[in-house]
Amino acid sequence: MKLNKILTVYKKELLDLLRDRRTVITSFVIPVILYPLIMIGFSSMMARQEMKLDQQEMVIYIQDNIEDIDSNMIRSGFEEIENFQVMQRMETFSDSSMIDLIEENSIQAMIVISDSLTIGGYRVFNADIYYNRSNEKSTLAFEKIRNELQDREITMIGDRLRSLNINEEILNAVEIKEENVAPPEKMVGFALGKFLPYLLIILTISGASVIASDLVAGEKERGTLETILVSAAGRNELVMGKYLTIITISIITVLLNLFSMYISFKHILSQAGQAVQNVQLPLGNFALILVLMLPLITFFSAILLSISTYSRNIKEAQSYQMPLIFGGMMLSMVSFLPGFELNLGFAFIPIVNFSLLIRDIMLSNFDMNLLLVVVGWTLILDVIVVLLSIKLFNSEKVLFRTSDDDSLKFWGKSKTNIFSSQFMMLFYIALLLGLYYIGGGWQSKEIMSGLVKTQLILILLPVLVVLRISKTDIKRTLRLNSTKPVNFMLAFLAIIPALIIVAVISQAINLIFPVSESYIEGMKNFLDAQQHGFWLSIFVIGILPGICEETLFRGFVINAFSKQGFWKAIIISGILFGVFHLDPFRLLPASLLGMWLGYMLLRTNSIYIPMFAHFVNNSFTVIVTSYGDKIPILKTMFGGDTIPYWYIVPSILIMGLIYGAFEKINNY
Amino acid sequence: MTELRESIMIIAENLTKVFQQKNGQDLFAVNDLSFTANKSEIVVLLGVNGAGKTTTMRMLSTVLQPTYGKASIEGFDLASEPQKVRANLGFLSGDTGLYGRLTARETITYFGKLYDMPDDLIVERINSLSDLLDMHQFLDKKIDFLSTGMKQKVSIARSIVHDPPVMIFDEPTSGLDILTAKNIVDFIHKCKADGKCVLFSTHIMREAERIADRIIMIHEGAVLADGSWQQFRDLTSLHDLDDIFIYFVNKAKEEEVVDEAE
Repeated sequence: MKLNKILTVYKKELLDLLRDRRTVITSFVIPVILYPLIMIGFSSMMARQEMKLDQQEMVIYIQDNIEDIDSNMIRSGFEEIENFQVMQRMETFSDSSMIDLIEENSIQAMIVISDSLTIGGYRVFNADIYYNRSNEKSTLAFEKIRNELQDREITMIGDRLRSLNINEEILNAVEIKEENVAPPEKMVGFALGKFLPYLLIILTISGASVIASDLVAGEKERGTLETILVSAAGRNELVMGKYLTIITISIITVLLNLFSMYISFKHILSQAGQAVQNVQLPLGNFALILVLMLPLITFFSAILLSISTYSRNIKEAQSYQMPLIFGGMMLSMVSFLPGFELNLGFAFIPIVNFSLLIRDIMLSNFDMNLLLVVVGWTLILDVIVVLLSIKLFNSEKVLFRTSDDDSLKFWGKSKTNIFSSQFMMLFYIALLLGLYYIGGGWQSKEIMSGLVKTQLILILLPVLVVLRISKTDIKRTLRLNSTKPVNFMLAFLAIIPALIIVAVISQAINLIFPVSESYIEGMKNFLDAQQHGFWLSIFVIGILPGICEETLFRGFVINAFSKQGFWKAIIISGILFGVFHLDPFRLLPASLLGMWLGYMLLRTNSIYIPMFAHFVNNSFTVIVTSYGDKIPILKTMFGGDTIPYWYIVPSILIMGLIYGAFEKINNY
Repeated sequence: MTELRESIMIIAENLTKVFQQKNGQDLFAVNDLSFTANKSEIVVLLGVNGAGKTTTMRMLSTVLQPTYGKASIEGFDLASEPQKVRANLGFLSGDTGLYGRLTARETITYFGKLYDMPDDLIVERINSLSDLLDMHQFLDKKIDFLSTGMKQKVSIARSIVHDPPVMIFDEPTSGLDILTAKNIVDFIHKCKADGKCVLFSTHIMREAERIADRIIMIHEGAVLADGSWQQFRDLTSLHDLDDIFIYFVNKAKEEEVVDEAE
């Protein structure tokens, strides 16, 4: 890789992009013009609208059920409010017709005045205010009425106290005085810290995405990629030159955006008559954040470059970018949520880590070690994704991807099509949606019957239907093969170490991402056989999943990935199995279990082994949760709330032995 | 003998390219293809669409990697020295587009720099190429605003800026009108006169007949026949190149049938 060639590519790409009107507009013109327009225009418009609203005539109906001196006072109070047109309610209007009038905004509010006596014998005026909260004008009328009534109440209390010869000052028992010790820049930091991360992350992604899609996918579309590939430029030099281009434009976009925002912000403050000098922006923190943006920008640029390289044309690149942009938006919003603090666990989740870190920095309250972890980890990811880009760029399959490559053949003539990975992913997603929308509904009605229906109708039935329609040899596909009895024994022996490993891992995850107490309680109740009866629990939690889920994942799904190789098939189907539980806390343990079951399937070539193991595993969980504290052996093993971490060592050793035995017995 | 070996610029030995098809079967786009091409020689790869011409040329230009077999250009092996192969090669095809937002001069300069040419040499080269191809009046216009013929000239200049000893043309005239196609044909003759080795692919028999020193007929990824037009005529006692081509296709089919029968 030669630096001067990278620079040649880089300079040419910049020149090319800067001549593209689209890039210039989205990356430079919009940020410079948009913020002043939005912020200044919007704020002045809002001020004007509010003023207009304030001056609008409002029609209020009053129904006075008392009609004495006091209620007259209240009524005349309303009449004195500016722009209020107070009308007497006609007897002929029904309540519902009045409410309709308010709803359609013909009148803004109705007040019904009545009175009652308290237990102590004092008279209370009741004012029922009908208004429409979804309408600004009506809401404003309500606020004015409420303020007027509150003022009236104070006057009336004063009158009452005076008539009893008590000084009004008696009401002032506690005087509250607010003293905010936060310096102004911290206040600004607090306010900005919430939305700045979101803003920065979105700006980065959207700034980089436009040019990234143009740089490789665009070249494919315009037919210039082959030209450049036959020239003397190395592939790595091309990738690096393009990568630097995306980074540069992103940095410029982010800086321009921030600058423009800062100016507009200042302008608004000065317009609002605020003393701008007093609002100190925490510039030191800003500078640190800008430096930190570098690893984030390089990370996004690398991902976007990979997407662009993989895509055949700009349109395809943009559709692959969508999930990234939406995902980025969602994850970056974490800074809005109270209670999320940057910790070692979150430091490893891309985007979330930066969102929380930027917020902490704005509050001048961050942990240097975590900052280094976030930056270091992001740089590692950076390198990985850049290497991926280079790998994609060197893959002729990717560079010369033809359009029929990914056309989905659903029910083709060839029977093997139902085992294409694309078909399987669609099938899987369909089942997942069914599980979520239909199964969730069934289970919330009645958990046990809901589970039975879910397993039979949503999991087992679709597989059987698909196999039947495609006329697949069911016995061969599902591997309904008999196997050596010793395999059953090994599968059985593996359950306890497997459960311990899973339990220790869950415990470790729990340390980093604490699971809520109510969740654990719910899980325990669900597994507790005493709630539903032992045999029913074993049937619903042990036997049914053993048959149905195994038929789906080990019988059907894993076949689609066996072309990718032995371990890849096991890992992919395992992860799909983990995701299927629709529960972030069980994702990792369930995935690991899925992989182990997948391994046993492929080694023994019999689905009965994973079915048996799944059944034993689930049933064992039921037994442990229900009778864990009653059976002595279980009590020593799983009793108490935590499992010692060192248990994992012998468990892994035992698993290793069992693995070896599987390999040997089945001749591998 | 040594002189002969020195004059050989392209050597392809058993070049084979296999694509994985959707149904899992292998497609032999190029099947065990061997040939050579010499200095000052115009060799035409002749074959119908899908015969494997483009795949062969893409392999020779290092864009695709051969599944089996090897090839060298100017003595540089495709697999081990791809950069040097590309530096000794000019490649032009209907698919090689240009950057529309750059001017002709910027485009040629960019490719010159990628070939590690010093700046003053690039300037000199642009001048001489502009004289040759008559490009002076649009040298500083953006390519988007040029006519097809002008673009074609820029493409030629782009492909030859580094003065490579070997030129590869992959159906460069397809979709061009006669006048623009003539640019290319003239240029090819110029290349030959300059002692370059030219490999040219086409499916148009007339074109092959007109410019080729030697014709390599390709069908279904394999060589049908290799020789001059005159040799083909003597061998088959046919006159029309179309007929000659069909003759060789049928002959290959018969051999296949015999092979299967055995």
